[in-house]
Amino acid sequence: MAMLTPYRVLDLTTERGLLCGQMLGDMGADVIKIEPPGGSAARAIGPFYNDAPHPDRSLYWWAYNRNKRAVTLDIERDAGRELLLRLVERADFFIESDNPGHMARHHLGFDDLAKINPALIYVSITPFGQDGPKASYADSDLIIMAAGGPLILAGDADRPPVRLGIPQAYLHASADAAVAALAAHHERMRSGLGQHIDVAAQQSVALATQAYILAAPLGSPEAKRISGGVKFGGFDLPLVFPAKDGYIALGFLFGSALGVFTAKLMRFICEQGFCDEATRDKNWIAYGEQLFSGAEPLAEFERVKEVVRTFTRSHTKAELLTLALEHGFLITPVTTVAEVVESPQFESRHYFQSVAHPELGESFRYPGPFAKFSATPIEYQRRPPTVGEHNFEVYRDELGLSENAIAELARAGVI
Amino acid sequence: MAHDLPLKDVKICDFMWVMAGPASTRILADYGATVVRIESPTRIDTARTLQPFFNNQLGPDSSGLFGNCNAGKFGISLDLGNAASRAVVHDLVRWADVVTESFSPKAMRAWGFDYESLRKVNPQLIMLSSCLMGQSGPLAKLAGFGNMAAAISGFHNLTGWPDRPPAGLFGAYTDYVAPRFSAMAILAALDHRRRTGEGQYIDQSQAECAIHFLGPAILDYTVNGRVQGRVGNSDAQFAPHGVYPAAGEDQWVAIACRNDDDWRSLCAAMGSEALARDSRYASAAGRREHREAIDASIAAWSRSIDRGEIEARLQARGVPAHQVQNSADAYADPQFAHRGHFVAVEHSTLGKFTVEGPRAKLSRTPAAVRRAAPTLGQDNQHVLESILGYDETRITDLVATGALG
Repeated sequence: MAMLTPYRVLDLTTERGLLCGQMLGDMGADVIKIEPPGGSAARAIGPFYNDAPHPDRSLYWWAYNRNKRAVTLDIERDAGRELLLRLVERADFFIESDNPGHMARHHLGFDDLAKINPALIYVSITPFGQDGPKASYADSDLIIMAAGGPLILAGDADRPPVRLGIPQAYLHASADAAVAALAAHHERMRSGLGQHIDVAAQQSVALATQAYILAAPLGSPEAKRISGGVKFGGFDLPLVFPAKDGYIALGFLFGSALGVFTAKLMRFICEQGFCDEATRDKNWIAYGEQLFSGAEPLAEFERVKEVVRTFTRSHTKAELLTLALEHGFLITPVTTVAEVVESPQFESRHYFQSVAHPELGESFRYPGPFAKFSATPIEYQRRPPTVGEHNFEVYRDELGLSENAIAELARAGVI
Repeated sequence: MAHDLPLKDVKICDFMWVMAGPASTRILADYGATVVRIESPTRIDTARTLQPFFNNQLGPDSSGLFGNCNAGKFGISLDLGNAASRAVVHDLVRWADVVTESFSPKAMRAWGFDYESLRKVNPQLIMLSSCLMGQSGPLAKLAGFGNMAAAISGFHNLTGWPDRPPAGLFGAYTDYVAPRFSAMAILAALDHRRRTGEGQYIDQSQAECAIHFLGPAILDYTVNGRVQGRVGNSDAQFAPHGVYPAAGEDQWVAIACRNDDDWRSLCAAMGSEALARDSRYASAAGRREHREAIDASIAAWSRSIDRGEIEARLQARGVPAHQVQNSADAYADPQFAHRGHFVAVEHSTLGKFTVEGPRAKLSRTPAAVRRAAPTLGQDNQHVLESILGYDETRITDLVATGALG
């Protein structure tokens, strides 16, 4: 038995909150994805299998709907709403990500459903939260990243701030929502009562500022973006360096905890003939403070960084990774997606999982379980569902509808 | 607090440090778990040395990162290499439901605090180890932080401009992803234990968690063989989609047109009939093809207008837009304020110290930030006396061993 086997989740999320249900499904919950007839709008988001748009072949859909069953249901019509309410009676979690007020207008808000099932945990994932001055703002991933703080911190200094090309905002929010749902569930085991969980993506992504969202209230200067690093208090601190065949991430950092790594690296760089002993022997623990105070001129810091770059540029990414393992340097290669998937590290942990798609007669490698559990390992039991794949299984076997009744609902466009 | 916090009965013995680990137990503390954070008196937590600093002054307690990740926890200083610490650790493990740690693999084993050893002390123990690459594999012993994990799991290469080197995401990106997975793993394992009595060991690789946030790009490779690269701010679906200059130095506004309606509304806000009527721009595909010309037109319009004004004008027409906010903007943001995102807690030495509030609003049993992050060893007496029940003699003897620093 998996960790969350006893629990049922009704997942009504739009393209915004799909990861939440998947996380619960990965841990064993019975997740039923409820989509409008014809399928969720998320199925229209690419890329697609063989680049041919098709509702069952969206890789965006595949990425966030594993370990779910799927039914279609028009919840805006009375017949559809009634079916949903019957499912709600037996559900433990209900997840939705429509604009604030949308579900309530269809009499499917938290208050409506709590009357039917007082133990229900009702999770809402929205851009800015259920209320407040920006609750009805139009949004997208980029807008949330702008509003929540991470966007301004990344990018080249001479160009606009830049986001990661794969949308992130609702993944952060979905993950926060899944944690909150399980915390509420823990409480429900004592009280027997459900509650409403209101997650705002704007707040969730603020975590991706590494506490820099707190700079102003703490009385600290803002950080500024530079390519591959950050600008603190007037000096550029790069974290990406060139290698012979690409780039590496290198923690060239200072202070009592991190300066020791830099000291170790500089000893090696000196041994290799890339710098003199005076450069090697700088006080790397206090170096940051020396830069702040001006005791170390910025021109000298620029020279030192060039020394490090000359060293990294003379080695391949693989050579630098080997050196990192041998000497404990803070170095990793900047890898492409292909290098990630083919990495011996992930291979040795059997991370990527082959998932069969019988409808296509093929299997594909998916990102694997997010952790290894000794007693209850995560299993990929279901590939992402096709549109309405489990209509019969759910409506006939669980709600006891006759095949005729189901056919009638289909004719009427309810399912 | 009129209500009981959801996790009021959950007890965590927390050996985690830096960001990814402590950020996960911070979430659990917000929901009411009692978290005892163990810190080395000799090897300072790296997070204590990182910006931003309270009043911009470096000091052992002034890191905003440390303060943010450890609010709500009790802190005890304990030298794990000191033989006298062993009994204290065992007592904490006996008290705890969950042990968490985020050292490099083998560190806990070297101290004799690996899962197999600790479960002898507490047979129902749930233990979570979180590190960069996981407990096994050729890179298991790789030292490092989340910016390195982000690089090696594909994030850096996907962030930035196609004609420039990787811009990198800000800071330790995998440290922003992994904590939610850690917290969720712990809560699910607790539910399993409640039902079955069975504890377990959880081996979490921060890189493996984070890769889930690249799902579509990973599948694009494993399914289609395509290796995605850097695309700046362009979007596969939406056009125009970008960050545009506003009035003032280094001021920006993000704008996204999700569909043709958004595009027409944007043109109307810009007062540009010509753009709206241009048939080349009628579809998203056309707008993407002519991205440079469109972006130049938008920038020519936006660069003389205040970014908040652009946000207001476009949002009034239903077009996704937002000023690009730094900390000062966020601190003044009415929505963040409405959500209570910034919470000032009373720090034992620094006074009012602002941290981020809980991430989700629970209607009946809302989470709370109950105290500021502990100074090093701040709660030694409380933990030893009230949690572990040590008497004064035992505490005095322990202090004499130097185990507490």
